[in-house]
This record gives sequence, structure tokens and C-alpha cells, in this order.
Amino acid sequence: MWINMGPQHPMTHGLWNLRIKVDGETIVDAEPEVGYLHRGIEKLCERRTYTQIIPITDRLCYGSSLTWSHLYCLTVEDLMNIEVPPRAEYIRVAAIEMQRIASHLMWLAAYAADLGMLVGFIYAMRDREIFIDLLQALSGSRLTYNYPRIGGVAHDAPPNFVRDSLRACDYMEGKIAEYEKLYDGSKVFMMRNEGVGVLSKEDAMNLGVTGPPLRASGVKYDLRKDQPYSIYPELDFEAVTHPDGDCYARYRVRMEEMRESCKIIRQAVQKMPQGKWRVLAPRIGPEGTGLGRVEDPRGEGMMYIVGNGTQRPYRVKIRSPIFVTVSAAKHMLLGYKVADVVAIMGGLDMCIGETDR
Amino acid sequence: MDKRGAGAPAGAIERAPTTVGENPEERTFKALLEAFPSTLTDFKKLRKGIVRARIERRDLLECCRYLKDKLGFEHISMISAVEYENRFEIVYHITCYGSCLLLELITQTPKDDPTVESVSSVWAGANWQERESYDLMGIKFNNHPNLERILLPKDFMYHPLRKDFKG
Amino acid sequence: MNLFQFCYGIIHWLVDLVNHLWYWLGDVLPGALGEFFNDVGDLAASHGNISVFAILLEVIVIVIIALINVLNFIWIDRKFMGRMFDFYGPYYVGYRIGGWLQNLADGIKLFVKEIIVPKKADKLGFLLGPIIFVGSSFLALATIPLGTRFGIETSPTDTGVPGSALIAFAFFAIAPFSILISGWSSNNKYSLIGGMRSAAQMMSYEIPLLLTVASVFLIAGSFSFTGIIDAQENIWFAIPLLLGFVVFLVCLVAEVEVQPFDLPEAEAELVEGWTVEYGGMRFGLFMMTSYLRGYIGGALATALFLGGWNGPHIIPEPIWFLIKAYIVFVIIEWARWSLPRVRVDQILNIGWKRLMPLAVVNLMIAATFKTLGWF
Repeated sequence: MWINMGPQHPMTHGLWNLRIKVDGETIVDAEPEVGYLHRGIEKLCERRTYTQIIPITDRLCYGSSLTWSHLYCLTVEDLMNIEVPPRAEYIRVAAIEMQRIASHLMWLAAYAADLGMLVGFIYAMRDREIFIDLLQALSGSRLTYNYPRIGGVAHDAPPNFVRDSLRACDYMEGKIAEYEKLYDGSKVFMMRNEGVGVLSKEDAMNLGVTGPPLRASGVKYDLRKDQPYSIYPELDFEAVTHPDGDCYARYRVRMEEMRESCKIIRQAVQKMPQGKWRVLAPRIGPEGTGLGRVEDPRGEGMMYIVGNGTQRPYRVKIRSPIFVTVSAAKHMLLGYKVADVVAIMGGLDMCIGETDR
Repeated sequence: MDKRGAGAPAGAIERAPTTVGENPEERTFKALLEAFPSTLTDFKKLRKGIVRARIERRDLLECCRYLKDKLGFEHISMISAVEYENRFEIVYHITCYGSCLLLELITQTPKDDPTVESVSSVWAGANWQERESYDLMGIKFNNHPNLERILLPKDFMYHPLRKDFKG
Repeated sequence: MNLFQFCYGIIHWLVDLVNHLWYWLGDVLPGALGEFFNDVGDLAASHGNISVFAILLEVIVIVIIALINVLNFIWIDRKFMGRMFDFYGPYYVGYRIGGWLQNLADGIKLFVKEIIVPKKADKLGFLLGPIIFVGSSFLALATIPLGTRFGIETSPTDTGVPGSALIAFAFFAIAPFSILISGWSSNNKYSLIGGMRSAAQMMSYEIPLLLTVASVFLIAGSFSFTGIIDAQENIWFAIPLLLGFVVFLVCLVAEVEVQPFDLPEAEAELVEGWTVEYGGMRFGLFMMTSYLRGYIGGALATALFLGGWNGPHIIPEPIWFLIKAYIVFVIIEWARWSLPRVRVDQILNIGWKRLMPLAVVNLMIAATFKTLGWF
């Protein structure tokens, strides 16, 4: 019997459909269907100038929008061969890591709520407010920031930014320890997560899964360490992996990543030099191609831009990590029960905005 | 080229190493040239860790199998399709986890025959990406397990990313 | 004067008033109509028929007590949840008394909503499901006395209903059938799955529950609540039968279907499960009955394990009983908002493989105590 979970479903994190074939309680086949939120972003980008595309890339994944506009600016800077001033790089990295923590906290909130623990939802959202407030001080808005520009950032950091960021990092590290006690100490949480949705190393690499699910299956690959961009070579942090490939491993990887992000924010904010925060970019783009790769909170994001000598790009191609990870859902769901669907798909942290573009 | 360590005990968190092999770009270039002397052209190092090559489309599947089995390129990152005035170009970005190298492999097809071999038998991650290229740009992939529209409705008649589709 | 005499006095006064009014109407109205009133009054007041009115009054008293307690419980639930989640619970409606009137407001809202019956639903089952659910819960409630003189008596000499604990559990256990009927007659895949899961869960937790209760019967030597509570004058049964008390509480949580055992109503997966097609006050009835069963569970736990109304006589007995029932409920709520949901096959696992052996061990402990002559 084929059951449709979605597209209208209270807690499937976005507009997609999962068709599963069940035999009693066990899943024997699964087929995700996406495309309900397709907005034609790649075609839209061909009709706008390079600067006008930045707000559009914000809305690609509204859960972590700074990473996508930063990726776009990186790609265009690669195309136009622009060098970004160091102060802008440091501000960008601090903002991206704050966005990463906010995105992981939102994942944690939705995950806990799906599993039935509403306490986790409220606590994670409450802590996310702190980082959203910091980002609002930087850029003026809470969800889609429109903050990076080609050649730097839009505005300078506000006066008390360093002090507030350090305070936020201290607070967050205490809270992460509290969350680990709350979740790891709960036998029911462990029962629902351990051994569920196992994805082996070879499968993960073959299926194109990237990001925390890949690192949770034991592959040590983090784009910030292995193909560093921006000023990541000068920062001291570690990439986190976990040998089992189940839902608990993905949860652990994300919690540790939040800790590492706190470390990165501390270093970036304290090492920030004075100077210019933006270089003016040329209006007319050169002919050629530009490639950008970023470690998004959900995986490996890439952009490939082809310029043709006018002020509009010729082709913008966006690689979304969740698009490929969702295609691997079938391998992770076979053989488990219907009640595990929520845990498994929730552990992948799906954001449909970037899947469907 | 394999840098992954032995499995840690269950429950442990591993930290990734930060070293890569010496000059993997040269090694890849030499190995590919040896295997496909006639069809591989235009080898260029874009920046540290990213190289580009062009290949003719009749050798594409062979080259991909060779990359995966012999040279250890385990992950296909992106499959893009670009339409120019006289040709289609299909760009494959393939990653090697062991040596942290990204290879940009470009194939060309003539304008009136946009078909290419599917690489989803080599990397299963290429499945949905090829479907997306078919859906939005109209590139047909031979031997694809399930070449259907994915982002647009199943009965949509056009390929929107083509330049002659004015929306 | 204790609480029972107070309630009795008020009802007596009301009955007197109605009596006077009725006969006054009979005198005032002319001719055959007045005679009709007088005859009806005589018929109603004659010896055999007064018991009908007495029973009606008993029903009204029980329903009022139950509903007030349910309102309190819902209020405690929402306030407690609010404080655990770091926000306030209901706040504005009934501002001065802490938001207690919010539940009344929600009830009125549910009354004015439209009741939609799906076209292909089985009309009789759709109608009967909530009725059986609510009715059996109230019946279970009726047999629980709140004090030595505050409860239903079936005859002037007996205290309380004979075998009342047995009857209470029998009525309590009718619920799975009504859930199955409601889920099936809604003609909806999801509610059917929810109904089946719910019925499976409830039935599998009935057995450890009843085994624990059997151990209490064994020690107390009586099937009725008054007998059990009188046997607890020296020591509460929770202390020798601690294992049984813990098993009883866990089974109660599973019977009442709160987190962590509320998968049949899980929002994330099945969109409210077996009540999905019900709207308006019918849905309100289900919600109310869920809290009512929570109250019944708390009252049962108090009566069987926590000594019922035994306590120092500075506070009247029914208040003691209610305080203990509320404490049990607060413990259940505490567990409810701190734990994630357990998967359904894990729920059945716990019920059959872990709780049943513990309940049997508890029964053996009770038998040991009984043979040693300590009780």
C-alpha cells in the first residue's frame, strides 16, 4: 500500500512529498517527490545584473541564507578576479558561522518537536534568537540578510559587535553542554535514534551525500579544511566525524559542529583587522567561468557562473546539497518502520527552498 | 591516495587530518593523458585543487569509470548544462576525497543532438542531477534508469532554461 | 459540617424549592391543567419514584465534580507546560485568577464550530464512538468514592458500591473498543491506523495494570474501594508494593495516552490519528475525556496505593483525596513534557516484555506478605 506523507503535512519541513510503500509497519519502498516549490531561480538570474541577484540567492535556502549569498559573491569574485579586503573576509566568516549555529539550532528545534519532545523546540528557538539578533545588528534583517556584496560586505560591523559576539559564544557553549545532557541522558531519545537510518560509507560516497550525513558515516571531508576558501586556512578548528552512520551520529556531528563554530567565531572576531570593508566591483562582467564551493550547514554547495561580457550573467548553475541527499532517502529508509521516517528525514535537515530552487 | 583511517570505536568522534598529497593535479593529468590520449584536451589548472579538462562525448562513460575505479574519484558534485549558440556543453565536477581534488570535465554536443551517456551507473548520485538537466535544459541521457521530469510538472512541454524560452 | 452534608443540604433545598414551585403552579393554573400538575407532582413524589430523582441528582453531582476537576487539570497541564518551556501558560482570560477561564473560552469556541460528518463514514459508528468513550469514563468515575460519606451507596446499610474497584477497572477498559469504532468509521486510512495502534497499545497495557491491581486486592482482602482504603489505615500500599506502584503509574500513562506513549495521536506522523475526522464539540469531548481519564487514573492510584482519604482530620477527607490525585497527575505531567515519544513497536515491547514480568513479581511479593500475615 502506497502512503503519501505530504505535501500537506504539519511537520515535513517544507513542501515535498514522500511516497512510501508499507507492508504492515515496515517500509519496503520509498520515493521522494520534489518540485512543489520550484521558482525558476536559475532562469531569473539570467535577467538580472550581478548585484541584483544577491537577494535572490538569499531566498534559496531561507534556513541559512547567508551561506548562499556568500557563495554567490565568492563565485562572481572568482569570475571577475577581485580581491576582497581582509576585514570583509573576517566579518563574512564570523557571520557565516553564526548563521551555521542558527541553522543547526533550527534543525534541533524541528527534530526535537518531531520526536515528541516539545521542550527541545522551545529551548533551541530561544537560543537561536540570540544569534539572529547579532545578525540583525550586522545586516538589518532576521531571515534573508542581503548582506554580502561582490567585493566585500554591505556595511561595517556595528560598534559593540566584538563584545556581543564573545558573550554569545560563551552563552552558547554552556547551552550546548545542557542540550547534550538533556538529549543524551534521555533513554527514549537514544532508543529512537540509535541504529536507525544507517547509511554506510560506500553508499554515502556513491550517492553523492555531503555535509553532516557524510561525516556521520565516517568520511573525513569538510570543505572548510580540505578545500579552504576565504580566510579559513588561518583559523584553528577541526572537522568532526562519527563512525556509525545512524541518526544519532548525525545528531552528534551537528552538536560538535556548533561547538567548533563557536571557536571559529571567537577567533574571527578577535583577529579582525581595521580597514576597508568593500571594494567596488566592475559593473560589466568578463567572459569566462567562475566556480565557487562552500560548506553549507547542509552539505556542499556549489555555483557555476558563465559570464559573457555584459552586465548580466549568461548562466548560473546552483548545486544544492539537499537535492542529492534526498535522492539517497530510499537507501536510508528501507527496512525501518513508518514511525522512523520522521527521525530519518528529520536528521537530514531538509530545506526545500534549495532543493527546488 | 586513500587517507581515511581505520574505524574508531563506536561512540567516538574523529577529527579530520589537514594534509593532502603532493601535487595530485600533475598525477591526475598524467594518468588521464595516458588512458585517453586522443580525446582528452585542454588541460588547465584553475587554482589550487581545481583542474579542468575537456573530453569528447564518445569517451565520457569510459573516462568516468576510469576516474572512479582507478584514480579514486568517488563523488560527483555537480552536473551542469550550458547552452551556447552552436553547441551544448555539459560540465561534470568530480571530487576525489582522498586527495581533495576537483576535476571539471567538459563535454560538448552539437545543437541538434543533445544526447550524452548517463553516468548514473558509475555514481548513483548523478541520477537526480541528470534528471534535472533533462527537465530544465532538455539534455537526453542514454541508459538512464528513470529519465523523467523532476522539478516541473510531468506534462510540461518546454525546457525553460533554453534561450528560446521567453517565459 | 463536612462537605457531604453541605452538598446534601444544598440539593435538599433545591428539591424543596422545585417542589413548592410545582405545587404552586398546580394550584394557580385553572382546571384540568392544574390537576395535571398536581397529579404529576404526586406521582413524582411517591415513594417508589423518588429514587429516580435521587439518581438524577447523583448523576448531576458526579458530572459537576468531574467537570470542575477536568477544568482544573487542563489548567494545571497548560500552566505546568508553560513553566517548563520557559513561558507563561494561559494568562489573559481570567487575568486575576491566573488564566483559569481560558478553558471555558476554548470550550465555548468548540461549541460554535461546525460538525462535519464525512460522506462515506459509517453514521452509527461515527456517532457512537465518542458516546461510548465518554460514557464509560464517567461510569468508571461514578464508582470512586471521595470520602467515607461522599460517594454512591446502593442501599442504606452498605457503604459504597460492592466490588467497586472491579467495576471501575471494567469500565475503564471499554475505551479501546470505542477508539477502534471511531477510527474505523471515519473512513480514513490514517485514522484507521491510529485507531488500531491505540487499541493495541491500550490492550497490551491492561494486563500489567490489572495484575498490579490484583496484588492490591490480595493484600487488602476486599474488592471495593472503601474496603481497600480502610485496609490502608496503618500504612499506604505504595510502600510494601513499591514495584507495583511504579508499574501502575507507567501503565496509567500508557492508558491515558499522554507523551511519552502518545503515538496514536502524534501530530508529526498521522495528523492527530484517530480523531482526525471529528470536529467541533465532538473533538472537544475526546480531549475532555482524555483529561478525565487522567483524573480517573490519578484517583485510582490514590485509592489503591496512596491511602485514599486517610490523613489527619484537619482537612476534610475529600480534599485529601483530591490533593493526592492532583499530586499523581502532576508527576505524570512532569514526565510528559520531558520525554520524547516512544515508537509504537517499542511501546508494545515495553508493555509485554518488561512490565508484565515486573507485575508478576509484584504479585508474588503481595502473596508473600499475605502469607506472612503482616496484612
